[in-house]
Amino acid sequence: MAGKKITVVISQAPGRNPTKRNLEEELAAALLVESDVDVSLVPHLNDLTADHSGLLFLKGVPGDMVVLSWLFPRAARWILDRNGVKGQLGTSLLKPADEDEEAGTEAERAEESRPNAIGALNAPKRKIYCIDLRDQNDPRVVLDEIRRIAREATVQTVDLDLMSWIGGSPAPAQMQRYLNPFAPNGAPAVPANGHTPVAAPNGANRIHSSPFGLINGADLTGLPATPASGPAADDALRRRWYPIIDYSRCTNCMACIDFCLFGVYGVDAQDRILVEQQDNCKKGCPACSRVCPENAIIFPEHKTPAIAGADVERDANFKIDLSKLFGAPTAIEVAAAERDQELLNDGREAVGLSVGIPKRRTEQPQQRDQLDDLMDDLDKLGL
Amino acid sequence: MHGAGNLYLLSGMAATDELVFMMGQYPARIPLDRLYSPSHFWLKAEGSVFRVGFTAYSVRLLQDVYFLSWSIDGETTVRKKQEIGEIESSKAVSTLYAPCDGRILRFNERVASDPTPINTDNYGTGWLYELETSDPLLSGADYVAVLEAGWEQTQRMIKGQMNE
Repeated sequence: MAGKKITVVISQAPGRNPTKRNLEEELAAALLVESDVDVSLVPHLNDLTADHSGLLFLKGVPGDMVVLSWLFPRAARWILDRNGVKGQLGTSLLKPADEDEEAGTEAERAEESRPNAIGALNAPKRKIYCIDLRDQNDPRVVLDEIRRIAREATVQTVDLDLMSWIGGSPAPAQMQRYLNPFAPNGAPAVPANGHTPVAAPNGANRIHSSPFGLINGADLTGLPATPASGPAADDALRRRWYPIIDYSRCTNCMACIDFCLFGVYGVDAQDRILVEQQDNCKKGCPACSRVCPENAIIFPEHKTPAIAGADVERDANFKIDLSKLFGAPTAIEVAAAERDQELLNDGREAVGLSVGIPKRRTEQPQQRDQLDDLMDDLDKLGL
Repeated sequence: MHGAGNLYLLSGMAATDELVFMMGQYPARIPLDRLYSPSHFWLKAEGSVFRVGFTAYSVRLLQDVYFLSWSIDGETTVRKKQEIGEIESSKAVSTLYAPCDGRILRFNERVASDPTPINTDNYGTGWLYELETSDPLLSGADYVAVLEAGWEQTQRMIKGQMNE
């Protein structure tokens, strides 16, 4: 009697912001008692390393998945893809406060319709829904959306662990192991005494009195302490900085690998561009994202939303940015200045525009025929 | 060039007064009594300084200007492309940059607090600031050539932003 289940993963905000922690805990507590949801916590996606238990867990999730994080959905999706957590784009109906209905569907259409993009490799048929918790104040809105997604889930998963006790009530120890397969130090958990309180479904429970654990975390009181032999707590996860490629936009033009002089980019066995040496990336430098002609490079932690993976919002307040017309330095000029700064910081010589600058394609084959349409359209748009 | 802006002289006026560049259906007037920058500002010599303002091309793209602010004071030396302020209109936003190396002497305080003259009289009372410079500047005819050469790209840029 295995039902359709979806996995909800809460990727916890780095640091100790109490508002964010409260939202995460409220959501986790409520999701614990949802019958068609398996919920788990992992650290901030951007900071996960390849060998982290949270990442191993994510890779093992077979079916549809909802990922709640403090990142733009596009950033979360492609971080996951880079780490081997692949799937089809799931569309959430949740919108940031000032976005309108059309914008979300436009974003979805956008991913499907870029013909020159090389696309994600080997994406299984299951859906991954990414939700940005920074847009949501009310956990009930998020929960309703998760329930809606769960109803539309089509992937049946048979969970062997579940099957063994689905007929009866799980003992607390079983519940503990099921919910928190990984102890604070990343090893599989073995509860010290086997008696841990199960979360009561009355909403009054706080995270730290439930069997719910922070994967690799140590912020819980009342839990049996599993001896931690590894790094102390999840606040030991270092903040990382590296580019993420959005393969629904990337055309494999190689402008990024030509431009970066720090060896961050490489190619895989099929000659597709990939971010090879993430930790070679100079912290805070977004220069390569400016040279990508498709805006396919994301730095999830950058302060500018467009670089951090935001979809451009198409609401009534949308305004054209005329800075390029009014004499702004070009994106390439800005990128070259940022790169020079990193070179100088490294004790190397600045190169200006003399190295690795992509030659822009100036003739675009189809544009000539569409030129008259462009002018008429612009007039219709009231420009 | 098929599809690009057209260049003609207004009938009824002296041939040397101004040129007109067609932005689609809209005629952008380019008076010949002043010089221009490729970043779409006019510069008119007033004694030893230049008065600087937006060309008709700029104003047509901006439409109703709501808000203008400067991030530097008067009596400031500037480099070309240096950020000096911001503008916001009903349809557009932009950072503003110095059109050339030089020294900005004073800003038009009236327009800084109420930018309406930018829309009603961009070549006159809508002036933005006064500037000293010895950088080379474009004649009206050269500026129109810049408009011709860049019109397709400008449309593409705007359309690209709207489609993203």
